[in-house]
Amino acid sequence: MPAQKIVSPERIFFEAPREKKFLIGNEAVGEAIKRANVDVVVVYPVTPQSEAAHVLGDLYAQGYIKDYYRGEDEFNVMSAVAGAAMGGVRVFTATCGPGTLRAFEMFPCWAGERLPIVCAFMTRGVNAPLTIQPDNIEIGWLADTGMLIFHAEDPQEFFDMILKAFIVAEQPDVHLPVGVCVDGFFVTHTREIVELPPEDEALPPYDPSVSPVVTMDMETVPVRHMKDPFVMKSNYISYNAHASWQQEVRAAAERSRKYIAKYMGNSVEVVHPEAEVLFMTSGTAAAQARVAMERLREEGIDIGLAKIKVIRPFPDQEVMEAAARARTIIVPEHNITGWLAREIKSRVSDNAKIFGGPRVFGGMTMPPEVIVTETKKLLAERGGHLGLRRPLVAARG
Amino acid sequence: MSTLLGYKHDYKVRPGPETYLSPSAAAMGIVLPDEKQGLIEGSIVPEEVAWEEIAKKLLAAKNPTLFPGPLVLWAWSESAVAKATALLELVAEVPGMKIIPMPDYRPKYPMINPAVEINPNHPNLTIWHNEIDVCAFAGVHCHFANLALKIIRAGTDCYTIALCGQRGHEDAMITLRDVHAAEVRELTETIRKIKKG
Amino acid sequence: MEALRVSPGYEKILPQEYQDLVADGPFGRDLSVKDLGTFKELIEEHPLCAGCGLGLSIRLVVASLPNPENTVIVGTTGCNSILMPQLAMHNVHALFGNQNAVASGLRRALRLRYPEKNKDVVVVAGDGGVADIGLSPTLHSWFRQEKFTTIMLDNEGYSNTGGQESGMTRQGMVVNMAPLGKKFAKMPFHEVAKVANCAYVATVTPARARRLGQMVRRAVLVAREIGPTYVQIFCPCNTNYKFAPDETLEKSKDTEVTEYMTPEAQALIESIEKKPKAEKVQS
Repeated sequence: MPAQKIVSPERIFFEAPREKKFLIGNEAVGEAIKRANVDVVVVYPVTPQSEAAHVLGDLYAQGYIKDYYRGEDEFNVMSAVAGAAMGGVRVFTATCGPGTLRAFEMFPCWAGERLPIVCAFMTRGVNAPLTIQPDNIEIGWLADTGMLIFHAEDPQEFFDMILKAFIVAEQPDVHLPVGVCVDGFFVTHTREIVELPPEDEALPPYDPSVSPVVTMDMETVPVRHMKDPFVMKSNYISYNAHASWQQEVRAAAERSRKYIAKYMGNSVEVVHPEAEVLFMTSGTAAAQARVAMERLREEGIDIGLAKIKVIRPFPDQEVMEAAARARTIIVPEHNITGWLAREIKSRVSDNAKIFGGPRVFGGMTMPPEVIVTETKKLLAERGGHLGLRRPLVAARG
Repeated sequence: MSTLLGYKHDYKVRPGPETYLSPSAAAMGIVLPDEKQGLIEGSIVPEEVAWEEIAKKLLAAKNPTLFPGPLVLWAWSESAVAKATALLELVAEVPGMKIIPMPDYRPKYPMINPAVEINPNHPNLTIWHNEIDVCAFAGVHCHFANLALKIIRAGTDCYTIALCGQRGHEDAMITLRDVHAAEVRELTETIRKIKKG
Repeated sequence: MEALRVSPGYEKILPQEYQDLVADGPFGRDLSVKDLGTFKELIEEHPLCAGCGLGLSIRLVVASLPNPENTVIVGTTGCNSILMPQLAMHNVHALFGNQNAVASGLRRALRLRYPEKNKDVVVVAGDGGVADIGLSPTLHSWFRQEKFTTIMLDNEGYSNTGGQESGMTRQGMVVNMAPLGKKFAKMPFHEVAKVANCAYVATVTPARARRLGQMVRRAVLVAREIGPTYVQIFCPCNTNYKFAPDETLEKSKDTEVTEYMTPEAQALIESIEKKPKAEKVQS
């Protein structure tokens, strides 16, 4: 077991000196877990997550992870990490696309059981038709499970968000699972500079005594409890108890806001906040929009970027503030459903200025040129920001 | 998220009965206090102010009751026993204060005996049966405490106080956080001072 | 847990049933089926049907555990989950079918946290949960050699949902979803357990209460050291198979009691059962 000293989360997140490495996203996962003091990892292969799962296996062989095995399918992998979390240890797993759907019953279960599991989602398209390529339609579905959801733009953010996810998740007044999402291949398999804190420093271990629900170890009492209120009684108070449980799970997500602010700063990062036009987006689409923004600004167009890092709890206030100043908001996404545009439109009352697109999916890339071209067309149509709303043309489903 | 209509910008956590299905206070924008702070009806205050208010509420109550949960009922750790002992001292300082335990979190069969216990799935039954007007929770796992506090607020007019060992409870009318034996004793001291003065 | 201890001053504040549990409960006392009636049991009231063979079986299982004070039960959707909230032991309601996956993770977590103690994990689930919807995780936990006991409460159907055919229903039985009679044979699941490398496999009924108790105990002790174990309890459902509640034990006698163990398991059992009682079982 390699020698590691336990340090404070603040030391790892903010204070420790960082060294530059050239890593793909799947390697960044390994670097994060190496420093995360994780007890149990259970995995199942699915493209493009598999290499990360291999790296985790290597970490287990080296002694950074105490127990690890390859499960029989994603539903049972997610079930096993749930069992381990109920037993009071820190766990990690990862999946995407078809694996996410195979496991899906477990996600609202994790949230409802208040299990602080961190799971990485290297998003990829779902069947049918089959693709192994990037497509983040699954984030829209995950958003209602009660889990916290973060969306990372690049391997650096992926690294940092995974580590911070453990600390946010394990707060006693939160104690919820966190999905840390990236767009598959674009982040998992693209090599970028990632700045890493020392590998001999690790997060403090998970403390099961702060759990808001009973840890299943026959050490802390009580002995009788119910994980599923009143499934067998049919009366007002039984259903009320169930409803109250659901509300408490959602309340825990509200409570996470202050820890997200403490450890992750803002949930929305705005560049050129005073701009008339704003890209509002997340993940890889934000990376592409960032380049498009720079090119448009070179041409004299007053455009900025609001990158949304946290999908759940959705940063309503920050989004509404960023949106207030802009006269046109463009929401590029890597999915057909436009789940991010839906989230934004449901908070910003002036829907007429919000344009969902460009959207690509099924593995298609979103070249900045496409964003630039379609943005210019839209702005030309809107002239002085008056006029009727017309859809952006590029590959809209 | 509840049967309340519209978004209340200045939501206050006041005794009920509030509505058919109460919202969680966190969903209405109430945030938990930081260290050395408390919450009174949704507003953050220094913890000393909360101690005083708790003392006043308990002393003025017709039927003040402590609801100890499994985390203090059982001697599973030294700090649990210490907090349990300190709580008994607190109860002794409040004239007429009773103790009704929450020994577990399961639904009671065939029905609860509300004279001797309280349960997070239907705490209103115990509140109504005993006509409890002010209660304090201690040593209950936070998830189950929140269930109980919300159901009490929805269906009864009981004033709730949470003596929480973790981060506190927005669904209580008054909450403290980080309450262990020493903090319980501070509260007891405050009760004694108010009784004298 | 070493012993159930009440915080000083709260002894009389606890409801009577908890005072009884402290004074007369089975924790730390190595009791068994033959002691039933002399101690406060961990499961008493529950809303299962009158005459339920499953409820009786769980009661016998719980009374047979070598160290209930350090055992966590993993149940699943089914009639067992109606009873579990009333059980005075930590228990997990897993999703339907995944109980052996949950138990795998839980067992490994408890092993990490308490390497010096025996924290037993016991799966208690119905035939539908273990062998139909749970077939994959059940078998995989066995192939992986996960060290916990699986107990199937075999009432030959999905009772909790109104009596539908399961893989363990006998061929020809007319039940819901088998209006023309079940078309294929009862799954020989205890044979499957042997092929899947379980170290100890037993079939029994609550009509043979002491034998059931001995088998459950052996299964748990073997699972601690050697490998996965499986006990299949035939406990018919009077509600769905439509016989009188007082006929359950009579109907339960209808199954062969079998016991299989690997040579390693046999050696372990013999070495334990030879010792005088006081030395026998440590937590």
